[in-house]
Amino acid sequence: MTILARIPQLLVYGIISGSIISLGGIGVSLTYSILGFSNFAHGDFMALGAYIALGLFTLLTGLGIPNTTFGPLSFGFGFTVAFILAIGLTVIAVILIDRLLFRRLRRAGPIILMMSSIGVSLALRNILQFSWGPQPHYYNQLIQPAILIPALNIRIKPDEVFIIVVAIVLVVLVHAFMRYTKMGKAMRAMADNATLAQVTGINTDRVIIWTWVIGAGLAATAGILAGIENKFITPELGWQMLLSIFAGVVLGGIGNPYGAILGGMVIGISEEVSTVFISTGYKPVVAFVIMILMLLVKPTGLLGRKN
Amino acid sequence: MSLLTVEQVTSGYGDMEVLHDVSIVVNVQEIVTIIGPNGAGKSTLMKTIFGLLKPTTGAIQFAEHGIDGLSPDRIVRLGMAYVPQVENVFPSLTVRENLEMGAFIRNDDFSDRISEMFALFPVLERRGKQQVGKMSGGERQMVAMARALMLNPQLILLDEPSAALAPNLAQVIFERIVAVNETGVAILIVEQNAKGSLGLSDRGYVLAGGCNRFTDTGENLLANEEIGQLYLGG
Amino acid sequence: MEHFVGILNYIVFFAITAATYGILALGLNIQWGNTGLFNIGIAGFYALGAYTSALISGLPPSAWEGRTFGGFELPFIFGLLGAAVVCGVVALIIGAPTLRLRTDYLAIATIGIAETIRLVLSNEAWLTSGVWGLQQIPAPLYNSIHGATTRYLQGHPGLPMWLHDLIAKSYDWFYLALVLAILFILYLILERLVRSPWGRVIRAIREDEDATAMLGKNTFSFKMQALVLGAMIMGIGGSVYAHYARFVSPASFKPLYGTFIIWVMLILGGSGNNKGAILGSFTVWGIWAGTDFLTKYLPFSATQSASLRVILIAILLEVILLWRPQGLLPQKKHLSTPK
Repeated sequence: MTILARIPQLLVYGIISGSIISLGGIGVSLTYSILGFSNFAHGDFMALGAYIALGLFTLLTGLGIPNTTFGPLSFGFGFTVAFILAIGLTVIAVILIDRLLFRRLRRAGPIILMMSSIGVSLALRNILQFSWGPQPHYYNQLIQPAILIPALNIRIKPDEVFIIVVAIVLVVLVHAFMRYTKMGKAMRAMADNATLAQVTGINTDRVIIWTWVIGAGLAATAGILAGIENKFITPELGWQMLLSIFAGVVLGGIGNPYGAILGGMVIGISEEVSTVFISTGYKPVVAFVIMILMLLVKPTGLLGRKN
Repeated sequence: MSLLTVEQVTSGYGDMEVLHDVSIVVNVQEIVTIIGPNGAGKSTLMKTIFGLLKPTTGAIQFAEHGIDGLSPDRIVRLGMAYVPQVENVFPSLTVRENLEMGAFIRNDDFSDRISEMFALFPVLERRGKQQVGKMSGGERQMVAMARALMLNPQLILLDEPSAALAPNLAQVIFERIVAVNETGVAILIVEQNAKGSLGLSDRGYVLAGGCNRFTDTGENLLANEEIGQLYLGG
Repeated sequence: MEHFVGILNYIVFFAITAATYGILALGLNIQWGNTGLFNIGIAGFYALGAYTSALISGLPPSAWEGRTFGGFELPFIFGLLGAAVVCGVVALIIGAPTLRLRTDYLAIATIGIAETIRLVLSNEAWLTSGVWGLQQIPAPLYNSIHGATTRYLQGHPGLPMWLHDLIAKSYDWFYLALVLAILFILYLILERLVRSPWGRVIRAIREDEDATAMLGKNTFSFKMQALVLGAMIMGIGGSVYAHYARFVSPASFKPLYGTFIIWVMLILGGSGNNKGAILGSFTVWGIWAGTDFLTKYLPFSATQSASLRVILIAILLEVILLWRPQGLLPQKKHLSTPK
């Protein structure tokens, strides 16, 4: 197939992977702007969500909850319940980590927090490995037939459409939340100036909890979606995506959730399209190079913050 | 009647002591200005009163509560508000959103209060949906003050409200300060531009080297030639 | 007595590994402890140094290896120096675009660099034999010493078992002496450097780069020097590792062993303190080895025990950050910093 003919399909793959990267990136951006540090454990929050979903699903299936598939999708009611519960449990786990650890280190500054998050990242990954083992665990062994769209020369699976729809819906919800709700405005205020937020009487502790709720919730979702897309998960799932996620965040403008979305999509698409020219083994390097180029040319990113 | 009493307060940053046994009083609905040279500790005093710094000795009373050692979000709930000198607005939020943040603690409908703020600062009503970061210095200062007034405080602390403003704009700000005071709010001002603010103050304190040097009515301080030479640049 | 010799031989193995980590920690101490460069890509330089040294002093590729490059069979010292030079050059290339970045950006960039190096080592089989790795890496003076001990043991068949075992391991004793010597020499050099005017400048950069720049110092140049020097030392560490393990593959330098554990060593020992770097490496490696023994008594599988030990090290890091972030041996104030 000519290079040009392959591009539409690669774009589709790029949009799918970009959607997952973007969902991860929003959390990283929010954590950075409101809590003031780069959270290296974010990828592992994704993996945590993916594994909790798997565990709950196994449990629910064992309890007899039905999972007849919804139409052309690969999963049904049982998995959906597990999905939603997993998001909730991941959020609780992350808030616990914040209370026990990050909160006590807030005064120590962003570098110590960053180091601490690296430790959390390693611990989480190994807790998952301890509990489930390093081998891949399958969400779904069935091969799902792809829908062919001849006009665009692409194939896409129903699950993949689901992923993109979920990403779009969540992005819209997050946008509405940040724009129109009191807590959303308080989060934007705290991102602007945390001391002033305190002076104004904003309950900064509550803002921080909401930041984790959204960040970890999106991360868990991204992890589960990655599991649906790849059909299997490993404990390294999150760490492997971390470089792409950070690249997307930096590309879009660190601290700006909309930038994370744009950046995530660009990175996802670039990684897939790059396979035309270079071997798939080097995909993370593409993300890395794009990030470095952006940092050299415009460090504030595509949608960078002025302050 | 004394609203705020600062008694023999010592405060500073880490090991560095900036204020030494400073005492001031602000009465209900008064305008009090603190003047003094750079580095006198004026801003430090404000931060200490508002709970951003902890005093090592001394006591601070506000509306019959002891507030020394309390955190800013507690003090805000007691009826005091603070407008820092710089970075005193949320630049990426609109005017309206800044005011809404000022009323964060309130769970009821405060649109009346917003209307009152727009009445005090008409220019803000016209710019209601504009991002504050894009506004001029004078307008931002008004947003900062309106934000602080959203909770109907009894006392508002203003740290150098006219700094970095052209003289005519500074004048506008001072006029607004008088208007705010007329609604019943006591105001404590720290100022470099002493002449401007002493003119509208009931009383003033001179602070230098972290200590009380002098106190008198605003009028008298303005007229006092010695003070003028030492601290007001002649 | 038998038992005692067994323990002794284990201690030699332990000490060689701990000392190797000590070298790596010294390298990180120059970059992070003194200059404030947040390098999470240590594994990249570690691997690069190991592979370079192995390729310089190793055998030419055999028929079945995917590799076409290298194996120059040069003496160990060339491998060591080559590793240092290559790491220094790569650091120079990497530093050019990244050193102007803020700390957290630099951190992400170093992850990317280490990942790129790992991918090149895994994918470019013509250069590195890919995932199969480099085997039969020669060890310095191995033939002479091993040959001598073998001849001695053959000539003295009546030795007690414990003495036999002790002498059979003489090469390891030699290697330990070699690594300790390299560690010591590096320590001396770095202590001199750190107390010199150069050392003062890089520490001033760590404390307040803008202020140091305003004093007229070319902070970029100093940071580059620290990056390159640190990388060269890490390359030496890699070389020392390669010639002892005598086998390297991309898997030998996973981020856990190649980067994270070294960070914990430096933070525990004391960032900014060379003695602390060495103390930290021996302490943390001791904890790591100790947990190896402990987990043998637990009913878990091998991978589970490995995970448990990593979790323990991660908890150790968090505990240090919470309660004693300056480490066991805090950074000494060599001279008052310029105001």
